[in-house]
Amino acid sequence: MPVHAEAAVLAPLSGGPTAIDLKERVRSTASDRFMPYLLGAAAIFSGLIVTLLVFFVVQKAWPVFHAEGLRFITAGGWDTQLEDAWNGSAFFGVRALIAGSAFSTLGALLVSFVLGLGCAIFLAELAPAWLRRPFETIVQLLAGIPSVVFGLVGLMVVVTFIADHMVPGNSGDVVTEIPIGGACLLAAIVVLTFMILPFFVTVATDSLRAVPRSYVDGGLALGMTRWRTIMRIQLPTAAPGLIAGLVLAAARGIGEAIAISMVAGAIAFMPNFAHGPLYMLLEPIRSMASAIVENGGEAMDVPSIAAALFGLATLLLAFSITLSMIARWAFGLFSRRMGVVSDRNL
Amino acid sequence: MESITKQGNRRIGSSIGIALCWAASIAVAAVCLFIIGYLVFQGWHAINWHFLSSDPVASLSEESAGGVRTPMVGTAILVLFSIVLILPVAIGAAVYLAEYMDERWWITRIVRIGLETLASVPSVVFGMFGLAVFTVGFFKFLSSSGTEGGSMAFGRSFLVASIVMGVHILPFVIKVAEEAIRSIPKSLRQGALALGMTKWRTIRKVVLPAAAPGIATAVVLGMGLAAGDTAIVWLTLGGTMTMASDAWWRVSNWLPVLRGAGSTLTTFIYFNSPAGDGNSPGAAFGAALVLIVLVLVLNLTAQLLFRRGSKAGS
Repeated sequence: MPVHAEAAVLAPLSGGPTAIDLKERVRSTASDRFMPYLLGAAAIFSGLIVTLLVFFVVQKAWPVFHAEGLRFITAGGWDTQLEDAWNGSAFFGVRALIAGSAFSTLGALLVSFVLGLGCAIFLAELAPAWLRRPFETIVQLLAGIPSVVFGLVGLMVVVTFIADHMVPGNSGDVVTEIPIGGACLLAAIVVLTFMILPFFVTVATDSLRAVPRSYVDGGLALGMTRWRTIMRIQLPTAAPGLIAGLVLAAARGIGEAIAISMVAGAIAFMPNFAHGPLYMLLEPIRSMASAIVENGGEAMDVPSIAAALFGLATLLLAFSITLSMIARWAFGLFSRRMGVVSDRNL
Repeated sequence: MESITKQGNRRIGSSIGIALCWAASIAVAAVCLFIIGYLVFQGWHAINWHFLSSDPVASLSEESAGGVRTPMVGTAILVLFSIVLILPVAIGAAVYLAEYMDERWWITRIVRIGLETLASVPSVVFGMFGLAVFTVGFFKFLSSSGTEGGSMAFGRSFLVASIVMGVHILPFVIKVAEEAIRSIPKSLRQGALALGMTKWRTIRKVVLPAAAPGIATAVVLGMGLAAGDTAIVWLTLGGTMTMASDAWWRVSNWLPVLRGAGSTLTTFIYFNSPAGDGNSPGAAFGAALVLIVLVLVLNLTAQLLFRRGSKAGS
């Protein structure tokens, strides 16, 4: 300590750095040279994890794709094949699972688009100032509810309601293949709608708010009503942002496993158009993601089943990567349209 | 004449549109409040001291489903381990992305695309990824020996589940932490640099302390995600409700417990719901109420921290 004090006193006279200064500087240049590499390694490692993920999942799925090729996607009959696989058979077709994922996700997207757009317009434009914060909190609450809780409430409320009030007494005459008991595509759509809605609402609200005020003012100055400026100016301008929100919501919907496995009946049944729209909604489904959690336990010890489940994971991975690419494209379109060159560098 | 009716129609149309937006918002708010109210109403009866302090029983009858003590411990282990494991990597990556990286550099773009894609991968795929990696014999030390002659690892344990869960929440934690670091005003950095501090010292002594509330937000959000996920836990922690040892609090049992299978609140609910094998909705509702309180507390904490952080930043 005395040495440092001395140096500090002497230093101004010599005009050079003090001892403390020197020591600090030497130490910090060392870490200054070293830290960027360490931090950069962390960043690059995090960015490349997804390639590891693709590698391992595809590698494990390889046997089933190698043996079956496209028939893995186009053939049906998952449930019986699963039974047979325990006895050594090794052919799987996941068409019904893809249909289950597609129907439940598209249905939920449609409903949550209509409902969510209403919420987003309300949040961005119509809500009085005092109501905005509470409503935003509620949307965030909804986003935070775990999927297993959605599944439990859906099972006890939605499925029970459908079984008690919507399934016709003579349903056995129309649908002969399986019993109809309330756990169905409709229940999956209802539950999924409220699971993906908050993600769409958040993105859609931000997009609507990002539309420059001058656009709206121009419309109002021309005598348009407030509602017409929303419909004719804000929505079309924010459209790419809305699409991005919808795509993100779709990605969540297609990957949802637990809630759908609880409310949709867990039977790989191909929704049958011949039964009419009501029965189609009341028939059970099984989605790709829910098939993985339902069969991912002991059945993983059977190599052929494990490969088939990894095949499903590969399909899910392909869907989610594609959707995230579309979302990135839509976001890019939106920010170019809003005149933001790159908000990251500002 | 015609233009007047047209205008009138428009006015009616716009009031209908506005009314529909109000209706949609009220419906969504009502559903959210209904879910929480329903859980409180249904779960209230199940929760008592016995429920919270006893362990789950592998049983098919409703009266003997047991309590949620080990699932609560399981959730705590999983949440803490996953966030602690990834926090150094997440903060490091966030600092690098916010402070060092040039956006025009191609590696930056690849890292960003990689993180965005990782964030969009469903959790069930992470679970399968975990099984693919950690059943490799080399990783036996994380779980136990597998059934197939011992060349493979079992691949299901608290350690495995924590690592996989950590990878799952990593992109979200990085994103929120990076935004927090970016929101620190340039003037703070310039002041520090003008005083002769090097870049890294500026980050460590000025930027990171100022961004602390935002980084805490990221951590708490990540914990909320980890506590609420079921698919990863179901696949990589095993479907068993009990832990490797009932006396998990003894230090000598810590390693076997961490290397063993178990349950968390989410898998307890999944197992005991009418859709699972346990079929005791009462216990499932009790556990769901505990879980939702935990997740809501975490999310509200994150929001409070975030507001404090953005106040400090502006």
